[in-house]
Amino acid sequence: MKAGENPFGDLLQDYIVESLPLAEQVGDAFVELERRWRAGDPGDQVLASVTGSLHTIKGNSAMMGLTPMRDVAHALEDLCGYLARAGASRGDEAAALLVTGGGLLVDLIGSASADTEPGAADQFMARVLGFLGVAPEASAAGPDRRQAERRTQPRAGDTEAASVVRVDFRRLDAMLEVLGEGIIQHSALAELYRRLLRRVGACEELGELDQTVLSLQKTLSRLESTLMETRLLPVSTVFGRFPRMVRDVAHAEGKRVRLEVTGGDTSLDKAVLDRLGEPLLHLLSNAVAHGLELPGDRVRAGKPAEGLLRLQAAAVSGRVAIRVSDDGRGLDQTAIRAKAEALGVDTRAADTAQLHQLVFVAGLSTADRVTTLAGRGMGLDVAANVIHALGGTIEVESRPGQGSAFTLSLPVTLAIVRSLIVEVDRERYAVPLSHVAETVRAEPETIRQINNQGVTQWRGDLIHVADAGAVLGTGKPCEAPRPFYVVMTAGARRRGLLVDRLIGHQDIVVKGLDPALGRPAVVSGTTILGDGRVACILDVVRILEGAAHGN
Amino acid sequence: MAIDGRAAVEPLLGFVDALPAAAAGASGPAPTLHLLTFALDREEFGIPITQVREVIRVNGITRVPQVPAHVRGVTNLRGRILAVVELRTRLGLVEGPVTAASRIVVVELRGRTLGLLVDRVSQVTKVPVDSVAPPPEEVVTAETDFLTGVARWDSRLIMLLDLDKVLLLNA
Amino acid sequence: MSESFLVIDDSKLLHQMYRLIFSQGDLAGSTIHYATNGREGYGLLAAHPDLTLVFLDLNMPEMNGLEVLARARAERLHSHVPIVLVTTESSEDDEARGLAVGAWDYLRKPFQPADIQRLVRRARELRRGRGAA
Ligand SMILES: [Mg+2]
Repeated sequence: MKAGENPFGDLLQDYIVESLPLAEQVGDAFVELERRWRAGDPGDQVLASVTGSLHTIKGNSAMMGLTPMRDVAHALEDLCGYLARAGASRGDEAAALLVTGGGLLVDLIGSASADTEPGAADQFMARVLGFLGVAPEASAAGPDRRQAERRTQPRAGDTEAASVVRVDFRRLDAMLEVLGEGIIQHSALAELYRRLLRRVGACEELGELDQTVLSLQKTLSRLESTLMETRLLPVSTVFGRFPRMVRDVAHAEGKRVRLEVTGGDTSLDKAVLDRLGEPLLHLLSNAVAHGLELPGDRVRAGKPAEGLLRLQAAAVSGRVAIRVSDDGRGLDQTAIRAKAEALGVDTRAADTAQLHQLVFVAGLSTADRVTTLAGRGMGLDVAANVIHALGGTIEVESRPGQGSAFTLSLPVTLAIVRSLIVEVDRERYAVPLSHVAETVRAEPETIRQINNQGVTQWRGDLIHVADAGAVLGTGKPCEAPRPFYVVMTAGARRRGLLVDRLIGHQDIVVKGLDPALGRPAVVSGTTILGDGRVACILDVVRILEGAAHGN
Repeated sequence: MAIDGRAAVEPLLGFVDALPAAAAGASGPAPTLHLLTFALDREEFGIPITQVREVIRVNGITRVPQVPAHVRGVTNLRGRILAVVELRTRLGLVEGPVTAASRIVVVELRGRTLGLLVDRVSQVTKVPVDSVAPPPEEVVTAETDFLTGVARWDSRLIMLLDLDKVLLLNA
Repeated sequence: MSESFLVIDDSKLLHQMYRLIFSQGDLAGSTIHYATNGREGYGLLAAHPDLTLVFLDLNMPEMNGLEVLARARAERLHSHVPIVLVTTESSEDDEARGLAVGAWDYLRKPFQPADIQRLVRRARELRRGRGAA
């Protein structure tokens, strides 16, 4: 893209003339600072002298749409602000970072163009992030993220910095898993209490046990909500990457777009956020590429030449609503109808809302025209699947000539279970990984039949191996032997389950069972897989219990 | 549920009440029922369109182990898990294959949303109320229990389903 | 009589940008006064009681935007002239402070020509409202 696309693109030379000397001053000041720190001088005045220049560079670069320069200036500003307060952090490491950043800023501005490769700027920001104490995995998550996370990172004062600990997110996941075990054990305890009560009748000790079990439940749910809060991050961590992306798509499409973002401080579980980026990216590019008209067309239609693209987030009754809306031409109902008819869908009776819903149908998604945008080929149907897999919903409204709005409703936190996905008789099932000890290739000669039950040697013990088709009631007898078994464990119980295919590990979002399904003993819930299909989650504890009772 | 005359008539009245035009039009033409009609095997059934939320194409139904026989499975309805009832087996017919013409009729009943798997959906049909007769008593099949009446109209025979009874799922 | 505006900003680049914006559409032909620091800006504000709108940069040497604003409001200097505080990202606290000491609105960099046009439109409405009253 050319800087000329920016309304002030013609002023690029003026930008360099003004900003380069400022950047050079800043760079020189950092070199001076390094010298002073080595000499034991805190160099407070030198540090203070750069803030105005950095702020001006940041503002100028932002006005010119020169994102890498703006980001580096911003990162340096944050770093200087932090060092001004945290005297103890001044030293060789900080100085090296400042000098590198100053040099980078000079280089970037000296060769200023909007085409500047953001790689070096992103790398630098990652280093600043690392220095300021942001979780290291954030820097592995990709440049856009880093940039976004920096923005939301509070400029840590000394006291804040002291009370903030870096935690690898995987540890939070592990904690959630342990909590899940605790919740299961609590329900086992409660059940034991009920059985004891039936056997020996009410007594003082049992009353106390009841109280203890009850308070354990309260403790666990407090732990759960604390843990869930720890996992929350503001949506701005994802939104931060969008302005630049929207600008790029707009340039590529010859559109003029103003992106208005609100509600960036709305919080969502990190696991939801991590998977939200792609679908939102798709909705935004789609809005720019297909929703908004070319400037000339807009003016002819009596609209401002610049299209308005809104990205709004808000907490709404326990969920988070995210809305992507544009003031463009709206969905093309005739095209949708024609495409649907071509695919054999009868749309004669469909009302407007039903027609709009068709954009989420595979093959009908208008997104196949977004092929010019490399890497953004995700269809609306795929975007919808991702949202569904997160336990969310997506709705569309549209008015011809006035624009379209996609509204996502997402759960704030998720009941996420890392699971092994297996296939049995062409259906997929999720087995929570906390109950999977191992997956084994089933060699027929290693499984013997004893009392009509398969038995095999596993880690020095004999364990039963059951056919999943028989356990789940899906198989017809005498089919080809299944090639794998999953060793499932619950407490001291173990059992192999023969399956057709091992699909892989996946974080799944647990959804309940409709009351219409009754209470199947082998299934604890359902989930939506990445391809939009529903899979049942196996209730390993009850499957193993049932097997024990059946023996 | 006892099958007395009143119970058989009440849902029928419900059909009519659901239509403001028909209810108000005492001086106009005879009141009509707006039905969504669909096919199962070679028979045509109808339910009041007021109970229908939408009709969707079948896009994968996942079987759920150990569920009642008339539950075909679950499907993804825009992120919600929708239980799909095998209407054929519920009405005593044999389970049929899912074809390109198959549809899921999403109904809303007493605050619950369920899907009904049907072979084929026809257009919305308007049927004059006076074309509806009680279910023929001489035909005693499993399905007569689920009917509120039979409409003979335009050389068609449309059996009116009592969804309340059809979907009394755990009975 | 043509409208007049005051731009107080230490960046020459920003002056150029305002010049560009004020050369387009119905803004063309209006008079713009430029100041490159707060002190100078304050002087120009005092000398022109009939400004339609003032754009006041927050971050400036000598006297920053907040200081100019606070002093102008404290001295009741042309309190009918709306002043827009121009800020940059991560100046949220200063925006709130600006509104508290009497900024009419704030405008965050990067802004677009349309943002300026909108503000001018609103300022004209304000003026008309006052004139009628
Ligand atoms: Mg400035």
